[in-house]
Amino acid sequence: MLSSTYMLIDPRTGSHPAIRFEQHPAVRGEICNLDGKDYRESIIGEDVGRTLQDVSKQDPRLLLEETLYLERLRLKKSRRAWWKSPYLANRNRQDQKFIKKIQAGLKNANGVEEHQELMKAYARHFSTEICGNFEPKVYDFAIRAVPWMFSWLLNAASLKRFLPWGMSESLQTRMRVVGEVEQLQKLSKKGTILLVPTHLSNIDSILIGYVIHLMSLPPFAYGAGLNLFSNPILSFAMSRLGAYTVDRQKVSSIYKNSLKNYSTSILKRGIHSIFFPGGGRVRSGAIESHLKLGLLGTALQAQIERYQENHPTPNIYIVPMVMNYHFVFEASSLVEDYLEQSGKHRFMPNDSSEPFPFFNMLKFFWKLFSTRSEIWVNVGKPLDVFGNFVDENGASIGPNGTIIDPKSWVMSEGELKAVPQRDREYTRILGEKISERYRAENVVLSSHLVAFSFFQALRKQYPQLDLYRFLRLSRAQRMIPMDRFYEEAARSYEVVKKAVDEGRLYLSDTLRCGDVKLWVEDGVRQLGLFHATKVVRVEDNVMAADDMNLVYYYRNRLTGYGFGKLDEASQSRNFLGETDEKGFLV
Amino acid sequence: MKKAFWSNANIAVLGGGSFGTVLANLAAQNCASVTMYVRAEEQARMMNSTRSNPDYVKDLVLNPKIKAVSTHEKIFEQEIHLLISALPSHATRSQAKLVAKFMSGREIVLHATKGIEEQSLKRISTVLAEELPVCRIGAISGPNLAGEVVRQDPAATVVASVFDDVIEAGEAVLSTSRFRVYTAHDIIGVEWGGTLKNIFAIASGILDSSGFGWNTKSFLLSRGLAEMVRFGMAMGASAETFLGLSGMGDLIATCSSNQSRNFRVGYALAKGEKLEDVLKDLGQVAEGVRTTRIVYEFAKARKVEMPITEVVYNILQGIWTVEQGVQHLMTRPLVQDEWG
Repeated sequence: MLSSTYMLIDPRTGSHPAIRFEQHPAVRGEICNLDGKDYRESIIGEDVGRTLQDVSKQDPRLLLEETLYLERLRLKKSRRAWWKSPYLANRNRQDQKFIKKIQAGLKNANGVEEHQELMKAYARHFSTEICGNFEPKVYDFAIRAVPWMFSWLLNAASLKRFLPWGMSESLQTRMRVVGEVEQLQKLSKKGTILLVPTHLSNIDSILIGYVIHLMSLPPFAYGAGLNLFSNPILSFAMSRLGAYTVDRQKVSSIYKNSLKNYSTSILKRGIHSIFFPGGGRVRSGAIESHLKLGLLGTALQAQIERYQENHPTPNIYIVPMVMNYHFVFEASSLVEDYLEQSGKHRFMPNDSSEPFPFFNMLKFFWKLFSTRSEIWVNVGKPLDVFGNFVDENGASIGPNGTIIDPKSWVMSEGELKAVPQRDREYTRILGEKISERYRAENVVLSSHLVAFSFFQALRKQYPQLDLYRFLRLSRAQRMIPMDRFYEEAARSYEVVKKAVDEGRLYLSDTLRCGDVKLWVEDGVRQLGLFHATKVVRVEDNVMAADDMNLVYYYRNRLTGYGFGKLDEASQSRNFLGETDEKGFLV
Repeated sequence: MKKAFWSNANIAVLGGGSFGTVLANLAAQNCASVTMYVRAEEQARMMNSTRSNPDYVKDLVLNPKIKAVSTHEKIFEQEIHLLISALPSHATRSQAKLVAKFMSGREIVLHATKGIEEQSLKRISTVLAEELPVCRIGAISGPNLAGEVVRQDPAATVVASVFDDVIEAGEAVLSTSRFRVYTAHDIIGVEWGGTLKNIFAIASGILDSSGFGWNTKSFLLSRGLAEMVRFGMAMGASAETFLGLSGMGDLIATCSSNQSRNFRVGYALAKGEKLEDVLKDLGQVAEGVRTTRIVYEFAKARKVEMPITEVVYNILQGIWTVEQGVQHLMTRPLVQDEWG
């Protein structure tokens, strides 16, 4: 019975009912220019200029000293990486050499001019490290090879290969790409796209690359964390597919400025880009609530510069995208991180830059294919750089519903120019809008609702416990009889359904059918399927949790709406990222 | 540079009430032209011919740069750089809808309304942001009794916005040798300060009319301020803002002066008059009456403790007498003298 809702592929045509948009022949786009050395040099040169401009008000000597200090500190901390990854080790060795050179220079330098020179060298060092490359040949190879590899894996893993139509499954069948795909396709020709997805897992980057290809969009530039470069195969591919390097361990202001300026430069040149505005992967499993505004601000900056150059297509469109999984590979360590952070009294460990094991990734896809799990990708409504919606033609729609000219919003004292304070505020407003849109574009999966209902039912048994105590309930305590669970599940469904009707979020297909037995069965099966221990188990008509942290993690995908509060009367206006008095995300 | 730009700028003021007229006169001293929008054609014609607005502000001679108009088209016959809305809170949304289509999006918008939208509990700047094609919006608030500004007594106000663009425009356009403009980024606090103080202005009128002395007045002011802070913080403002001109400053002015409309409402009410009659006699809008009800209901739902507001609400509704209200306040459990 279930399989009918999962019958996704039409074996004759290979077309996929879940992908309701037209696929066009692939386009190359502006990013291909990155292949040229001169083009890259021009970007780096521009970055260095901007970075020096950004720090021009500071004393160059002090700034250099500070940068060197922070860099030495970083190298000291990342000493362990030496044996973890040869790639990182090599990188650190080069940095070490460079630091020594600058240090020597700084000792001998006298006068502002020599300091300036050293600063310029430092800015260039960072910009060169950040700058990505793009080789069309590698891209062409990848877009052929990757789907082929996936479908090989898929068909090897799936029992379906015994069916008459044989190797018929592809990654497409597991990706549910929904939302404003057509508008995104249109806008990519009318301006530059800045895709801002939610970030749950390291798998995201690879899948997004594939989704972009599915949508027939040209390749995007993408800021990849240094840890993703640690694998030689990935590193080779990424550095030639427009990925630029982001090292989150580097905290000096010169580095941060260089990174921002790189983003401005490529957006200004019309290269579509991706960033994860939440910073890293979201620890709690919830929708991102606090966005990093630094990189986000580069969109407005680039648009202003495009106006100033009288570019025919000056607009940059911000497209939020929400990805949802039934299981997240790194969930256990992420939620542990989150609990340590929010629990405060315990030590907060550094963002671990563990190299992402290639083998684990294969395992992920194997699981994905062998278990009929799906991934939902919802392309959100595009926004302009101020957070206004845009119409079919890319024109901004003001809050009052009329078309506005975004140019007029960057006129100050009769002049079109960048005004740092004003632009920061615009970006803050944009950030708020994006997280609001994330919530609205979220797609609830059956497994999330199962985790949520279970958690809620159990909380009602122990209303006095706070989060940390609650998560340590003993095995015997964390059980719910199935009939109680069904009761709670139906109640949760009602609450969520009401919010869906109000346009506050979406339901996946399985949930939309509404049959409680059906979606619960599906949800229990899918919930965190990959983990070593099962997240919840149903035995003898009792549902039991094997790993409370994971239940919390998956249940958190439904927070930010106020569904999680126990006391109906407690009111709050904005739930995103908020916890109740017992420390639970609501 | 900024001064130079604004001295050639054109200003528009929506609303021909007392404070709107005062603001127009201030702006006219710093800018190229000021267009005032008033609803009645007759009033516009009279203002243009007699150079005064006697129904709202006595003894004011309109600056020759001011022109009054009564249609929205006419406001925007020339490019407007700054739009000041000085409308009562209930008229703001509908008026904003009407002017929206004439605006280019470059304008900076300030408003001088000390109130909030009734059902939605939205601040006026939020209402304007929803209706106008602009983002750069700010608020003007402070102890500015219109009559005294006309008399050129030294006075100060606050211009608040998250945008420095707006703040700088407010400074350049409104400050004169007799009128100082202070600035703030906490627009939430400034707007709520100007709104909430009206409740205590009514309370102050009630006290004066009951013949209580300075002890009682100071009691009201300081504990009233505590209520303002508590409510403001629940709305996302920061506490310090309420210590400034738009909070404490405005509270002292409105609660001490019998010029204040809200004060007059409280005064007449305690004399035993009916609320409807009082409002009818006043002729102008007393924002405090509406504000008290909205704030009281919201505070009750959100469990923000506001005992004075509760008393004012009950007296306004005719549920309690003044004596019952005083009884209620004096017999509450004894607590610490603090804000939280």
